[in-house]
Amino acid sequence: MKRRVAALATLAAALLLAACGKKEAPPPPPPPKPAAEAAPEFNVLATSDLRDLEPLSEMIAKATGVKVKFRWGGTMESTEAVLTGEAKAAAAWFANAKYLLSSPQGQQRVKLQEKIMLSPIVVGVSESDARRHGWDKPGVKLTWKDFAAAAKAGKLTYALSNPATSNQGFMALMGVVAAAGGKTEALSAADVDRGAIADFLKGYKIPGDNSTYLSEQFIALQGTRANAFINYESWILSLNASGKLREKLVPLHPFEGVSTADYPFMLLDDSRRADYLKVVEYLKSDAAQTWLARQTLRRPIKPEVAARVEDVLPRQGLQVELPFSPDRALADGLIAAYLNEFRTPIASTFVLDTSGSMQGGGRRQQLVQAIHYIAGADASLTGRIAKLTNRERIWLQPFAEAPYGLVGFDVPASSSTAKGVAEQADSEAKQKVLADVRNFADALEMKGGTALYDAVYVSLQNMLKERAKNPRYQYSVVAFTDGENNKGRSLEQFKRDYAALPEDVRGIPVFWVLFGEANEGALKELAKLTGGQVFDARKRSLYSVFKDIRAYQ
Amino acid sequence: MAMTTPKRLAITLALAAAFGGALYFALRGQKHEQIAQQEAAVTASTAELKGLIALDVEGYFKDPRVIKALAAKRLPANVLRIGSRDMASKVAPGQTPDFFFSSGVVAANQVVEAARRANLPATQMAPFHTPLVIASWEPVAKILVANGVAKPVSPKVYGVDMARLTQLMLAKKRWKDLKDSAAYDVSRSVLVSTTDLRRSNSGAMYLALTSHALTGDIVTDRATAQATALKLAELFKRQGYQENYVDGNFDDYVAIGIGKTPMAFIYENQLVRYALTKGGVGAEMVLLYPQPTIVNKVVFVAMNERAKALGTLLGSDPELQAIAVEYGFRIADAERFVAAVKPTGLAVEPRVTQVVDPPSFEIMAEMIDVVAKEMTQ
Repeated sequence: MKRRVAALATLAAALLLAACGKKEAPPPPPPPKPAAEAAPEFNVLATSDLRDLEPLSEMIAKATGVKVKFRWGGTMESTEAVLTGEAKAAAAWFANAKYLLSSPQGQQRVKLQEKIMLSPIVVGVSESDARRHGWDKPGVKLTWKDFAAAAKAGKLTYALSNPATSNQGFMALMGVVAAAGGKTEALSAADVDRGAIADFLKGYKIPGDNSTYLSEQFIALQGTRANAFINYESWILSLNASGKLREKLVPLHPFEGVSTADYPFMLLDDSRRADYLKVVEYLKSDAAQTWLARQTLRRPIKPEVAARVEDVLPRQGLQVELPFSPDRALADGLIAAYLNEFRTPIASTFVLDTSGSMQGGGRRQQLVQAIHYIAGADASLTGRIAKLTNRERIWLQPFAEAPYGLVGFDVPASSSTAKGVAEQADSEAKQKVLADVRNFADALEMKGGTALYDAVYVSLQNMLKERAKNPRYQYSVVAFTDGENNKGRSLEQFKRDYAALPEDVRGIPVFWVLFGEANEGALKELAKLTGGQVFDARKRSLYSVFKDIRAYQ
Repeated sequence: MAMTTPKRLAITLALAAAFGGALYFALRGQKHEQIAQQEAAVTASTAELKGLIALDVEGYFKDPRVIKALAAKRLPANVLRIGSRDMASKVAPGQTPDFFFSSGVVAANQVVEAARRANLPATQMAPFHTPLVIASWEPVAKILVANGVAKPVSPKVYGVDMARLTQLMLAKKRWKDLKDSAAYDVSRSVLVSTTDLRRSNSGAMYLALTSHALTGDIVTDRATAQATALKLAELFKRQGYQENYVDGNFDDYVAIGIGKTPMAFIYENQLVRYALTKGGVGAEMVLLYPQPTIVNKVVFVAMNERAKALGTLLGSDPELQAIAVEYGFRIADAERFVAAVKPTGLAVEPRVTQVVDPPSFEIMAEMIDVVAKEMTQ
């Protein structure tokens, strides 16, 4: 009996033991009076879908005196940071923290939490297609199963952020699992209907890792490559209001499968409790709630404010929520299966600068480390996303005076189970390929000039050729350089030659890594041209940048 | 109004206080001498009493009228809100606050237990109370009535037969399987949503209540506790993710609504407070009173004589009691509570008559342990 009692009060006991040696001490608990003058910054680690809340920091400072400073991160990477205690922030603000808070470790990190606003995940379908398929009629009830069937039939082609790294992507998959399994509760890894997932993913045409990037892609490709955008209602409504779309999106709420982001604001650093409470009080004030609703189109957590903003956020009918399964084996198994079995496999060329300048300043070492990283065995939440996945094809294209020594590697497929999902250990064949990639990196020698544009150009040609032979892959190029282009094609020549490539080369984005003395302006221009993105590795480790890029591939 | 009802409630409350009270008296015996010495010194003081309090009473303590009243009585309080379940960990010789004000008996008992281990005196008092109720929606309540699980007590107030409801949930019935369920014909299972019982008092009280519903009595022995908790674990597990802070479940009820929480297990004071603050509630919001239910005491744990005086004051001063009602709590004066709530349009049961006690501290711990283990599997 005693042991039971002790079990309940573990924390208490532990702290008591710790305090045993102490004698009289000054009286308790700290009076929450922060020094008003030299108030330290109140750092908030927020998921990147909250970027539109940046203006809040000024509003909070004005109302409360607390200097909130936001730092943005992906859902998985932020979750990992909080779990491991590496968040280096007073508070965290996620769209959804259920994955974090369903673990005892996460619960311990989070001292207080408060939901600030709401936004359900919806399937935003182009008006004309919604009408054509009769999806916009009142009373039509579409489940995630229906969306999976529509994707299979080619009626639904969508943009969605990476299910392995984002809440929206993950919850969409969970919705399909629940609807196809015919049950919404106590879902387990064994319940996963693999066919339904595969059907649903047939419509996944525009991948990416953050909503801003996805929006740019969707705006460019709406009607040609995709007719839908799966994201938070707030994001779909904002896009509609932006006037940038070819046609508006009809937000469809999956019947009995709605998953609402509730944006918990979470205290991590107990010593900042007083400031945290002030910030929360402000965020839940009528003024802040109204601002959030009108400016960001997220639904107020306070019903009375919601009633006042019905002109922009109409009252919803019955939206039956999908319970969140706290089963880790299901979540981890689903993510692993998505990456290694279900997703359109990645085929990409990494264009690697091996010019002389890479020799100095630990640059070579950083590059080798980054390649080791994606060909390694990091089991952390984000590591498993960065790692080469089963069925993946990767080419490494070194260049200096000119591109040379192209090598390709094929990661074998795993044996798939008939039912359910589970994390699997690497096969021997996969381990061998990973070792080959690492050995290749080890052997890289750094000397000569920088023929960046030639290397990217031949890589694009190579990818086009491979895609013609084997279209069932997701193609991309990662261009890494530490300096100005000084050999081969010039920027102007590259742009001209790029324009002469077949039109569909735009389906092969080029991700540019800014490192060393690379030309930022040129890379930004090229990212726009090639439908890619610039990743800045000047202030962060190269491997963490590679990790980010992996979520876009 | 029958005179017997408040009396019964009072007796129940007294009984419920007993297991904390017994501990206190045991402690008091040991510590009597020291306390007597301290008494003279502390009563003259006007220093702020430091308290760690639950979210439930934070608003109350920050109310300017309460601050003023306490200052006038030379018992000003400086409070900091923390989770009830974290309170016991703040008991440490020389560092313990003057008082704790926890959201319930379970957490308060943990504080007292920790105090006992640390050889510190601790006194429990319950100045306010509130019954545990199911916040629901008119269409859902009507379905329950049609299926013989609930019955209307007065307009917008329903009594729920907990034994029948528990059986229905354990039989894994879906809403659309029920008779006359057109208004809520969804394929979700009939389940009451709760906060995570590993972290919150109300979740634990739901376990206590369903254990009574299942066995027909208060569980008193370990074997029954284990067997019962094992059967009831699915009522928690099948909910999926549960909020693990006090207001999480209630927030979902008011903000997301019937689609997420057709039935939410809450403290009555949460919805009463909401109604009093907003001057009303949503048109379809109704309260279901479990029959029987558990009355939750907001437990004040005094760690010294001055704090004890504060606790006594909170429970006896008419003005302070009246303010407590504004925060949704029931006080000894039931009429006063009913009169205060009436203008909001929220219908409440004037007198909660069918009340049971939760099992003892040890038995509760045993049952929570079993369910917690099941939930992590």
